Amino acid sequence: MNKSALKYGFFLGCVIPNRYPMIERSIRDVFEELNIELIDLAGASCCPAPGVFRSFHILTWLVIAARNLSLSEELKVSPVTGCNGCYGTLRDVWYDLEHDPQLKMKVNEELRKIGKSYTGKYEPKHVVQVLYQDLGLDYLKDYIKYKFSDLKVAVHYGCHIIKPSIKRPWNKEYESPTFLDELVELTGAKSIDYKDKYLCCGAGGALRSGFNEVAADFTKEKLINIRKAKADIIITCCPFCQLQFDLGQKEVSNIFRDEIKKPFTIPVIYITQLIGLSMGIDPNRLGLIKNHNIKDVSPFISLDPFLKLIKKQLI
Amino acid sequence: MVETENLKIGVYICHCGTNISGNINIDLLKEYSSKISNVVLVKDYKFMCSDIGQKLIKADIESGIINRVVIAACSPRLHEYTFRSVCEDIGFNPFLFEQANIREHSSWVNLNDPEGAFEIAKDHINMAVAKASKLKPLKKIKVSVESSCLVIGGGIAGINSALDLANNGYKVYLLEKNPSIGGHMAQLDKTFPTMDCSACILTPRMVDIARNQNITLLTYSEIVGIDGYVGNFKIKIMKKPHYVDQIKCNGCGSCITPCPVICKNEFDLGMTSRKAIYIPFPQAIPGEYTIDMENCIKCGICADPNVCETEAINFNDKPEIINIKVGTIIVATGWDLYDPTELKQYGYGRYPNVINSLQMERLLSSIGPLSGNPARPSDLLVPKRIAFLQCVGSRYYREGGNRYCSRVCCMYAIKQARQYKEKYPDCEIFIFYIDMRTFGKEYEEFYESSQREYGIRYIRGRIAEVLEDKNNNIIIRSEDTLSQQLIELKVDLLILSCGLEPNIDSDKIGSLLCLQKSSDGFFMEAHPKLRPIDTLLEGIFISGVAQGPKDIPDTVAQAKAAASGASILMAKAELEIDPYYTVVIDQLCSGCKICQSLCPYNAIEFDDYKKKALINPVLCKGCGTCAPACPSGAIEQNHFTSDQMNSIIDIIKEDN
Amino acid sequence: MNSKTEEVLRKDIRKSYNNKLIQKFINAGLEEIRACINCGTCTGSCPSGKRTALRVRSAIKKALDGDESILKDKDIWFCSTCYYCYERCPRNIPVTDMIIKLRNIAVEEGYILDNHFDLAYNVFYKTCHAISAIGENNKKWRELRESYDLPSLPPTVHSYPEAVKECQKLMREVKFKQLLDKIKKKKKKDNKNIK
Repeated sequence: MNKSALKYGFFLGCVIPNRYPMIERSIRDVFEELNIELIDLAGASCCPAPGVFRSFHILTWLVIAARNLSLSEELKVSPVTGCNGCYGTLRDVWYDLEHDPQLKMKVNEELRKIGKSYTGKYEPKHVVQVLYQDLGLDYLKDYIKYKFSDLKVAVHYGCHIIKPSIKRPWNKEYESPTFLDELVELTGAKSIDYKDKYLCCGAGGALRSGFNEVAADFTKEKLINIRKAKADIIITCCPFCQLQFDLGQKEVSNIFRDEIKKPFTIPVIYITQLIGLSMGIDPNRLGLIKNHNIKDVSPFISLDPFLKLIKKQLI
Repeated sequence: MVETENLKIGVYICHCGTNISGNINIDLLKEYSSKISNVVLVKDYKFMCSDIGQKLIKADIESGIINRVVIAACSPRLHEYTFRSVCEDIGFNPFLFEQANIREHSSWVNLNDPEGAFEIAKDHINMAVAKASKLKPLKKIKVSVESSCLVIGGGIAGINSALDLANNGYKVYLLEKNPSIGGHMAQLDKTFPTMDCSACILTPRMVDIARNQNITLLTYSEIVGIDGYVGNFKIKIMKKPHYVDQIKCNGCGSCITPCPVICKNEFDLGMTSRKAIYIPFPQAIPGEYTIDMENCIKCGICADPNVCETEAINFNDKPEIINIKVGTIIVATGWDLYDPTELKQYGYGRYPNVINSLQMERLLSSIGPLSGNPARPSDLLVPKRIAFLQCVGSRYYREGGNRYCSRVCCMYAIKQARQYKEKYPDCEIFIFYIDMRTFGKEYEEFYESSQREYGIRYIRGRIAEVLEDKNNNIIIRSEDTLSQQLIELKVDLLILSCGLEPNIDSDKIGSLLCLQKSSDGFFMEAHPKLRPIDTLLEGIFISGVAQGPKDIPDTVAQAKAAASGASILMAKAELEIDPYYTVVIDQLCSGCKICQSLCPYNAIEFDDYKKKALINPVLCKGCGTCAPACPSGAIEQNHFTSDQMNSIIDIIKEDN
Repeated sequence: MNSKTEEVLRKDIRKSYNNKLIQKFINAGLEEIRACINCGTCTGSCPSGKRTALRVRSAIKKALDGDESILKDKDIWFCSTCYYCYERCPRNIPVTDMIIKLRNIAVEEGYILDNHFDLAYNVFYKTCHAISAIGENNKKWRELRESYDLPSLPPTVHSYPEAVKECQKLMREVKFKQLLDKIKKKKKKDNKNIK
């Protein structure tokens, strides 16, 4: 297969474009470097978020998601998303409609009212799935220019990239998958083991928007375990988890001030930010070096300690 | 045809108490039946199978009023034999009788729909009458019976069947794939609920096997081929090479120490090692040595005459094929333990201090790796706090699990817990369970005493996940469902009470013998209540866990039942076989051999001289695969001829 | 089982659940929970239950027992949809989906957190994003986008007003908007809320 002929519809979602544009930049740049074409899904909406809107009204969740899927069908490509939440929605809806023809018919009835239709021909994918499965480690390793051998990474998968496993492409492995660790280790970094590595960040399921302090309690537990394991950095594959670890880290340090003693300052970046860096993409573009004076924007936790660590390996 | 003119069919409708009459209007059904052509008589009775019911039929046949019998009653699987015998008793050909099943097929399945049930009953009677009109008298086949039995599997089930048969005077071949008989029972330390030492009650039986003149022990052997039929099975067996002459070897064991190869000891589930030359366990029968060629490096040290004085080592040993002929076969292939590796949340295979129940059994065993002083694998310290998890892989409706309950795990966990407490009275023991099932004789009492006297603590909840801390302790997360509290419990050792699965080789044996399996993967019995040890193939019996999970008392009972079943067959010099076989009409057969390739019982031969297919009536099970496949319509099946089947189909066609 | 018998059986099951709420649960497919053996794997696996009062097994059981209080109970909103309960259930019951369905029924009955309502009504329906970059408040995010060499608004609904119209039309067609309006009215009137 000619891997450089691959193309996908880029499904942005909400958090990536509107809060973590450096993730969008890094995905676009890494894919370009890999000669993979990303076509924008013009007019795509919220996926809709599987925690909140699915909890409110399943039918709304289904039809809006089907509309988003139909946008990539019009372009005859699989949609690819960098967000676990969007992936959860697009993939679950795709799976559910494939397994329930009656429901599919009903959803199409609604879509017809706005002049759209949905077939289910194109499998929704995650950025990580494209990197790991469609391209593969062997293919990627030729693009790696810099290796970060001293870097200790705490990998955070998040939930919806692996579960429900029956609707995911990872051979029903949900207790201890390794694909993200393998991608991280491609850059020479060491993915360290830590307690409850596969635990949820706490943001999902409408929890962050509903009960921020409960979400923060999840995050606190993760951060304590990550700090105990002496990780230099957290790598995510979901902007919502990233938000929870980044902005949430500040919230945790604030809410649980007495309990945790020392505030948390663990840098958090997205997988394509790390891979992009090791592929030699300008760290300014990847959002690893601050290149603006805008206040109170992401990343909320400084990445400087991380940059310091890997500096000599970049030269 | 002439016969048609003389047809006089009697229809007998059974009420079966109220099983049929409670849901179907018998008077209307009688009225309907009397109008079917060729029916000369319709009678009903409360129980057709009763003495009075039988006499009713006999009288009508003997007086010549009828010459075909249709009985509308229960399933032919229950009473076909009864009514056939009624016919035979008075010298009437039993194959001129047909049974319509209006109980299982109509009354019972339409309990809420009497009208529907009535319609279906009408159809069944109509079809039976149609077929009865085409019935032909048939004769049963007689075959001789070889007075010998092959018992497959040398565990406690096979051992008991073999001993009973041998003591009854029959020749027995006891086949075992491993170098020793004894099966899983040899691995157990004690047995519930009486706490007898497993080896102490098993080994005398093993010795009996070795000493019994009527038993030929075929250990380290496998079946490679089977041919023949009830009373006359021809079996090809491969004796695997031991690379040690089993006659010369005196079992002295001098070869063990010098052997440089260390490999995993399967008898201790890999917790200890053994040499490449070995006997499986000290009380093994036979007690001669075997070289495990997968691991042997052929250094030749053991073959040195200074090491093996009897010069028994033979690196040129070859597999040996032997052929035997037996009248009956008992399948006692037993079980394997469920492998919990895939249930990753329990950490088996990842955390050293999570073990399975058979490993625990070896740890507890006085002849086990730690001489009966259990310690945990990671550091050989004595665990102060241990937990058991029940239903591992059982009652599990996901892929890779078993839906059934294995019936022994509750009891063996209680037993192991009690044993452990006896060894270390100050330890703490937790058993995580969903339901405790202690249903056997003295089992509930055993459970109660484990609570009252031994202080074993039962937590109602299935462990959700398991973690390991840096000292290899196990952290259990679970809900205590009775208090609805989430618990996190640190223990030193976790034992997974895994369920039983059909032996890994039972598939192979099953397909060689053409045995059917039930949905749980175990061999299927001919009837779940009344023929629990018979298979659908005459002359082949199942015994022990091969049929389904069971404990030792039940296994032994079934083993003895299987021996009894085999004896009954072998006690007869001749057997009668129902004449349902297929026949080739020579004039039509084109010799294309399609039937031969399809026959699942290898019953079809090819007559090279006549260039026609030839069906062995005894091997043929009347499955009907060949008849419709024959392109020239040259195959007819007795009692299910095209003519007969078409007459039934015509009825259905008319009906619609 | 023939279809008539099945029908009778089903009727019997439903008869035993005669209240309106239970009917709703059953229609939403929650009756699958009948096969539950109450082993506690779901609750034991629940990372939220470790820090909140959410007891997954008990919550769904309550629902099927017709206990309406579960709808007002904030506990059911503590689930982070991590799907461990769904994955590990030995009876293959899609537990997480059950919680989602339970939440749907709660919302239908008017029980929704203010934050969630605000998100649905003022952000999602209006912008068709769950987190938006429009408006004066979000200026810094648009600038941040530009600093990464990206257009100030992404090529999503934010750049295509007609796409927003499409999505809103769908939300009206499936009666989501109407549901939100109803809840808004109710919230004003009886201050109905989650406890």
